[in-house]
Amino acid sequence: MLSFDRPQEDVWGPRRARMIAGVLAVVFTVIVGRSAYVAFNGPEKAESGMRSAAAVAATRRADIVDRKGELLATTVPGWSLAANPSAIWDAGEVARDLKTVLPKLDLIGLTAQLSDKKRQFIWVQRGLSQEEKDAVFGLGVEGLQFVEEARRVYPRGRLAGHFLGYTNIDGDGLEGSELAFDAQLKQGGEPLKLTLDASVQFVVEDELEKAFADFDMKGGVGIVVDTHSGAVRAVASWPAIDPNRRGDFSADMRSNRALNSRFELGSIYKPLTVAAAMDAGVLTPQDRFDVSAPVKIGAALVKDLHPLPNARSVTAGDILAHSSNIGTALIAQRMGVERQKNFLRSVHLLGGQSHVGPQTASPLTPEVWDATAMATVSYGHGISVSPLAFAMTYTAFGNGGNYVSPVFVEPVDAEKVDKAQVMSPDTAAKVLGMLREVVTRGSGKNADAQGYEVAGKTGTAEKPGPDGYDPNKNITSFAAVFPASRPQFVVLVVLDEAQPRTGDQRTASYTAASIAGKVIARAAPLLDVRPVLGASKVEAASLRVSEATTP
Amino acid sequence: MRKLAIIGAFIVVVLAVAVYRAKLGAEETQGEIDTLKTEAASIGKDIAVMKAEEAYLTRPERIGPIARQKLGLEQAKPDQYTASEALSRRLGEERLTLPPVEEASPTSAPITRDSGKEVKPQ
Repeated sequence: MLSFDRPQEDVWGPRRARMIAGVLAVVFTVIVGRSAYVAFNGPEKAESGMRSAAAVAATRRADIVDRKGELLATTVPGWSLAANPSAIWDAGEVARDLKTVLPKLDLIGLTAQLSDKKRQFIWVQRGLSQEEKDAVFGLGVEGLQFVEEARRVYPRGRLAGHFLGYTNIDGDGLEGSELAFDAQLKQGGEPLKLTLDASVQFVVEDELEKAFADFDMKGGVGIVVDTHSGAVRAVASWPAIDPNRRGDFSADMRSNRALNSRFELGSIYKPLTVAAAMDAGVLTPQDRFDVSAPVKIGAALVKDLHPLPNARSVTAGDILAHSSNIGTALIAQRMGVERQKNFLRSVHLLGGQSHVGPQTASPLTPEVWDATAMATVSYGHGISVSPLAFAMTYTAFGNGGNYVSPVFVEPVDAEKVDKAQVMSPDTAAKVLGMLREVVTRGSGKNADAQGYEVAGKTGTAEKPGPDGYDPNKNITSFAAVFPASRPQFVVLVVLDEAQPRTGDQRTASYTAASIAGKVIARAAPLLDVRPVLGASKVEAASLRVSEATTP
Repeated sequence: MRKLAIIGAFIVVVLAVAVYRAKLGAEETQGEIDTLKTEAASIGKDIAVMKAEEAYLTRPERIGPIARQKLGLEQAKPDQYTASEALSRRLGEERLTLPPVEEASPTSAPITRDSGKEVKPQ
């Protein structure tokens, strides 16, 4: 008899029942516990939902504002047009209809794309304006859909267009600040606050635009910088561009001349030569030079365009006031090549300058720095730098001898200004005094904005070409510090091939200096610099005190 | 044992109802959240557009001509600036002070509101 024919006693039955009951009890407890938790903790999910909403909002590309919070760049809802070719019956007709309201469309290419019935999605045109969207909607064409996409806009149009730069349709920075601060902007959140002052920027751009009425010119640059902090308050490149319509401008127009172009800036280098020589102890304001005849230094025969008064005995102040090439070259000869190079290196005109934000073009310097180069560089020939790089060198004249690096982003912390002593305070003060004389009795008279004690230097340099320097093409410039009694700002104006529309005066005295004076007269009040003129000593003193305490 | 089973069954039923209501409540809350999120996003976009429009409308090249033509405003000339200390001194010299309160005309006194009634100050 087989064993399975015999009934057996089920000794495991009760134990199994207890085990099952125990498991069920545990499951029951878990279900009850979880149910109670869900019942009494409903808001948990809502909170997580709100967190995700905040996370989504944070991904919007951050705005760009000026130092006072004026909006310069923002992101608004935009629309793009897409199509589903598989749902379109007559591709040719749809393409022709769309072409009537979107004239930039490639009719042949679009027809081919719409004819591909295997595809269910193609872009027809991205970045539609509201008018274009309404027009397309009005067509009532089949198989089209509008896709909402973020759109980067620059509501002030051309204002600071070069410096702001622009993004592509996908929101990636391509130029200017949009590129330089791309990673930060993509994180979203608080706006990027630039050091630019929209009002001052407008003044500079407006004066450059007006200059075009007086001068036929190829390009222009205007820069305003705080001498103490290096904060760039305006940086304009003419012709201006509107980043909203960047496709309408040529590559040359899109180039930011203030940062990315290199110029031989001419005589505005002379104060640097004088400062370097004074600081090296080889020049005093009382030293006299004979500049009555051309001098040969190395292979260069250095001449003056106009003879100086009392040319046989002139001081460094006279040399700057009347912009003598001969005198400046003689001063450089006293100083020597190494001292000259060391000084120019200290003010970053030989490269090595770094800062946060859009970068500047690296300088072009003489391949062989011999006596000839020393002479020509002393008055600003043979060396090409970006206008911004040069403007920063004049900060030293306005703050007691410190070179200050440019700053583009607020807040500007006075304690953390990147600066280096490049000349003594005494040298800076003396050269600043000479620059003031350039404006009161020398070549910079047209820059003398009433009440703002402009101290500056003109520069007129022939442009280098394939056949040497072209006497008919000039770079004219004016670099200034104001107000001389309590320096606060550096202004640099550079004009490329400025030809007067009437008359034949095309030197910097009549072009760049005049524009710089107008810029200062309009921008100074916006920068909280009050004029001092014809007032009693008490009133003038009180003005200085009140402004000295202004943060 | 039977009572325990009845109580257990009762608890299960109550919890089932509670969970169902909680689920409905959660869905309702989620719907409200979604609505609010959509609304917030929409308002955020509207605000962005309005800020952009404000910036566009306040461009200096637009405001400047309006200020000149409609209001007759011009850029201040250097001799129109002065220090506040100097201004106080000039006001004192020229006695350009405001008239005393008692000399103010009664008819020009402002009307104030008190408990919903308009009364003239005593």
